[in-house]
Amino acid sequence: MLKKLFSNFKLMAAGFALLNVIMYLSIKKFWIGGSSFLPMIGTFGPNNAFVFAFIVNLGVIAGALLGAVIFGEFILRLPKARDIGLAILSGTLIGIGVTLAPGTCTTVFVTGMPMLSVNAFLSAAGIFIGAFLTYAIFTKNISQ
Amino acid sequence: MSFGKLLLVGFIFGVGFGFFVQRAGICFSQGLASIMAGRAKRIMTIFFIIFIITTIGFYFGGFKPVGQLRGYGFFNVLSGIIFGIGISLAGGCILGTLRQIGEGNLFYLIVFLSFIPGMALVIKFVDPFLKDAYNTKAILLGDILKIPNGAIAAILVLFSLVCLYLIGKKK
Repeated sequence: MLKKLFSNFKLMAAGFALLNVIMYLSIKKFWIGGSSFLPMIGTFGPNNAFVFAFIVNLGVIAGALLGAVIFGEFILRLPKARDIGLAILSGTLIGIGVTLAPGTCTTVFVTGMPMLSVNAFLSAAGIFIGAFLTYAIFTKNISQ
Repeated sequence: MSFGKLLLVGFIFGVGFGFFVQRAGICFSQGLASIMAGRAKRIMTIFFIIFIITTIGFYFGGFKPVGQLRGYGFFNVLSGIIFGIGISLAGGCILGTLRQIGEGNLFYLIVFLSFIPGMALVIKFVDPFLKDAYNTKAILLGDILKIPNGAIAAILVLFSLVCLYLIGKKK
């Protein structure tokens, strides 16, 4: 029964959103994605804001690990050698994307749009275009 | 609250986020792929649930801009496109990448570490070159539409509720 409860994606998505709200109301911070990784290249943000966000995201990895272990979904998977180039290329593009304009990427859908930030709506449009281009160029070619 | 305590609190919140993300299977990259393939029901349900709850919550906490409008929006769209291509190739957005690392998929650890050269490229080479063209602004929808943000939020939440209802009805 517990597994069924914790496998209800609607309930879990609501839990994520509620936690985001609780964090904002209690400590005036919210979840961010992109800029949180800038401490990895020595950029810490005003008042170490990016350091805080980075620590939150390390917590996300720990939380995902916790959920996966509890419900028996943890599987250690090593990347195939032929996929490493793709991982590096895609990761580098993500790195460029998240740095070129602050408050883009996944932050758009989770905090930017609910905050009614103008940039978030523009970034969302860009993300759709990027995803569409990739789908049109690569996915369709693969499936043909 | 001291910065050390703030980091501890942040980490605990992060663990909570990670748990819910893992259980909900949230990944906007896979969601976008589903939309392109004509199977948008699950990701749109997740998006609208998050949007409705978070918007209402943020209304009570007070809206403030997340990030910046750069180059009158040009750099936001451009970065979105580059990011969109990146996550589509990787098969994982930021949340998806962090979740998959937690689930033991080390492909995403390489993706995660590869953020570094991309970020460094922009910070060290692109930023100094384009600094004057950025014309950064941190603004909300209400500022440009000249409508109270609360009213915009109410309209968007109502619209999202209708969408959620219609998605729920769709088989």
